[in-house]
Amino acid sequence: MGHEYVPEIATDREGNQHEVQGWQGDFYGGKLGFWLFMLTEVMMFGAMFLALAYYNALHPQDFLDASASLNRLLGGINTVILLVSALTMGLGLLKMRAGDVKGAKLMIWATILLATAFLVIKGFEWTAEYNHGIFLMHDKLLPESSLPFGQKLFFGMYFSMTGLHGVHIIIGIGLMLWLLKRINAGKVSPEHHLLYWNIALYWDIVHLIWVFVFPYYYMIGAGGATGGH
Amino acid sequence: MDTNTVNYQEEKKVYYKVLIGLLLLTAVTFIQPHMFMTGSTFMAQMLIAVVKAWLILMYYMHLKGEKLITAMVWFSLALVLVFFIIVIGIDVSNFQYGAESPITAAAEHGAGAVNTAPAAH
Amino acid sequence: MSKTYFDETHCAIGHPKSTFMQWMLTVDHKRIGIMYAAVMFTFFFVAVATAFLMRLELWAPGGQLIDGDTFNQAFTLHGVIMIFLFIIPGIPAVFGNIVMPLMIGAKDVSFPRLNWFTFWLYIAGCCIALASLFIGEGVADTGWTFYAPYSMNTGTNVIMALVAAFVLGFASILTGLNFLVTIHRLRAPGMTFFKMPLFVWGIYATAWIQLLATPVVGITLVLAILEKYFGIGIFDPAKGGDPVLFQHLFWIYSHPAVYLMILPAFGIMSEIIPTFSRKEVFGYRTIALSSASIAGIGYLVWGHHLYTSGMSDVAKTVFSFLTFFVAIPTGVKFYDWVATMYQGKIVLSTPMLWALGTIVTFAIGGITGITITMIGLDIHLQDTYYTVAHFHYAILGGVVFLMFAGMHYWFPLITGKMYNERKAKIAFWLNFIGFNLLWFPMFIAGYYGMPRRYFDYLPEFEIYHQVSFIGAVIFIAGLIYMFWVFFKGWTKGEPTTPNPWNATTLEWHLPTSPPPLENHSKVPYVDFDPYEYHHGEPVVKFNYETMQRID
Repeated sequence: MGHEYVPEIATDREGNQHEVQGWQGDFYGGKLGFWLFMLTEVMMFGAMFLALAYYNALHPQDFLDASASLNRLLGGINTVILLVSALTMGLGLLKMRAGDVKGAKLMIWATILLATAFLVIKGFEWTAEYNHGIFLMHDKLLPESSLPFGQKLFFGMYFSMTGLHGVHIIIGIGLMLWLLKRINAGKVSPEHHLLYWNIALYWDIVHLIWVFVFPYYYMIGAGGATGGH
Repeated sequence: MDTNTVNYQEEKKVYYKVLIGLLLLTAVTFIQPHMFMTGSTFMAQMLIAVVKAWLILMYYMHLKGEKLITAMVWFSLALVLVFFIIVIGIDVSNFQYGAESPITAAAEHGAGAVNTAPAAH
Repeated sequence: MSKTYFDETHCAIGHPKSTFMQWMLTVDHKRIGIMYAAVMFTFFFVAVATAFLMRLELWAPGGQLIDGDTFNQAFTLHGVIMIFLFIIPGIPAVFGNIVMPLMIGAKDVSFPRLNWFTFWLYIAGCCIALASLFIGEGVADTGWTFYAPYSMNTGTNVIMALVAAFVLGFASILTGLNFLVTIHRLRAPGMTFFKMPLFVWGIYATAWIQLLATPVVGITLVLAILEKYFGIGIFDPAKGGDPVLFQHLFWIYSHPAVYLMILPAFGIMSEIIPTFSRKEVFGYRTIALSSASIAGIGYLVWGHHLYTSGMSDVAKTVFSFLTFFVAIPTGVKFYDWVATMYQGKIVLSTPMLWALGTIVTFAIGGITGITITMIGLDIHLQDTYYTVAHFHYAILGGVVFLMFAGMHYWFPLITGKMYNERKAKIAFWLNFIGFNLLWFPMFIAGYYGMPRRYFDYLPEFEIYHQVSFIGAVIFIAGLIYMFWVFFKGWTKGEPTTPNPWNATTLEWHLPTSPPPLENHSKVPYVDFDPYEYHHGEPVVKFNYETMQRID
């Protein structure tokens, strides 16, 4: 891969030598590329927040009511789980860079565990909502139900965004399992850790999205207006 | 930035400090609706989220000290913000029924049906 | 005889022996660009055929060949292919891939394997779009814009089209990402941003739009799919949703998309004009910065597609105001190009002919765009043939014409051969005359009220449709002839030197024609501006083995 690559030298008219940046072994380029990819994720979720804010502005009270009915305990637990998983991921990368490959792998497993716990709790949440008649194509979210427009839209976007976020968590777990494979194959090591770096960044952005999803959906109806839970 | 020179203890301390910060902010998230800015919970929650995001970006994602990438991040955030301002701030705030508009109302009364050609020319 | 990039290549997986597998697995940016061109132009002609079918139907009022539903499918297919399969990959996929790395002295793009993967992602998107022709009720009949609520209710293959568009959009994002990192990281030593050729500036500005605007349409398509299959309600009035929100989200991408189309084309213009005026470009910095500002302002103007959708007057006014602004940097470019030609020694080769023709046709396209930026006029002209003529003058007469100009310009670079100049010029005139005959009457028809996307019309519009049809025949003949000239040139043409136009930019300073696999023999040190001419001759000369300057 980048092991045999020797950078070319360009010489200017005064005879000074300049190293040519090749596409091989370009750590900064690899990092830059992944950041650009994350900006696309920002645009995607940003557009979803735009749709959400649009309907929020049209139906402020309905949104507060719907938000108040979400399970803040489970949502809060998930927030802490994801938070800690960001730490474990970051610590794992740090250990890898410092040479502790075993410790790094342990941290990746810890992150996978926490991510799975997140999904399980989300599953409980959605099941509870389903049992209350709130789920896509189901009972209260059908056109003929008496649930106010704003609440229907809130829950439509809720399942869309938390669903899409969940898909990104699943992808993240897949990436981490693949990373473990690459480490075992010797392709990711303390000297060549770009893949680890980028997957850690990916996990951070998954966390970052939740940092905004959680308060917007769960917390806006928490206090004064409707009394909260 | 050479990511191969690792000051393990120092970087580990930073990670844990940020963790404490984030956990504290999460606690504030739960307290806020009952404690302060209770009339504008939405604003307060978004502000807390922004502070959390800043911590994560700066330290967990190592954005501190990255000039080019920081500029790119600001550019995209500004873009998203502009979309919000234009759609929510301008479009939604100025909702207007067809009959209230001098522009479209005039077209309906003036030219008759838009999609027929004039009789002879 | 030294090897060219046709003789050897690098592959994504393994070291295949067969030529076929070497093409299928190649990561070489030059080969990938050629493959994009082959697929794109095949689809281009499929879409031209759908257009010709519509023109045939529209020769006379009443239904003759196809019914109204089929007509709706025809213009949807035409739009989907032309936009998503042809013009959006467009110049970046072909010339961004082949020429841009050569212009900055790089050996390939920053992520060659990602480039390979992106090409096959594009192919996957094409297959999904094609499949929608043969499954169920056939191609979507909503128009390429897929407006809710009709797209939610129709039984035709809207979902397949949306999935295809999503996959193709992803390919566009990854191309933009690859080019952004390439331009930031792989410029030859000494080449600052303001020493890059203007085509690279065009690709750079385009890459930002590819990266940041496309995800918005990506998520819009996902939301539309969620709406259709899971009834989330955001576009469904029965649940409180707003179909106009779909329009907002759709055009937040699709307007910047047209700048994504035109900016690389303007980049090609900025390469051809100085080369064939034998003169340094006038206003290098303003052209470079105008590309950046078009990309920036272009994000703010999408509402001018929604004037008649029920937005408030305030919103309409804001969008109209912003849209006028985006014309200014374009005007600056035109001024700079004309100023470049002033007192230059004009060489009227075929690329220059295409470039000059485009100055005429794109000016018409751009100015008629200003007409419909005015709200009062747009109320009458929206969804008429005026709009259709406007965007075909801008996209076909701007982007595609410049793509053709680029094909004539870089043909010797890519193939190592030269086409027949006289026949190429005849092809140009056939195209130019046919194009104007085809589209200009539509401005008039639209002004008199001929609606777009209608398969039938009142008798007073017949003359316009018939003149257009004649134009279409001549134009299509010109297209076929032009490709025939290219084909003959590639197979039987005269071999050329690496720099037949005696141009200055780095892609013309390669040791062999066609180029070797690894591009330049050695990466040069760039201490010169991209268009340095002195009395009509290039200032900078290289020894092609050492890439040291010998001037």
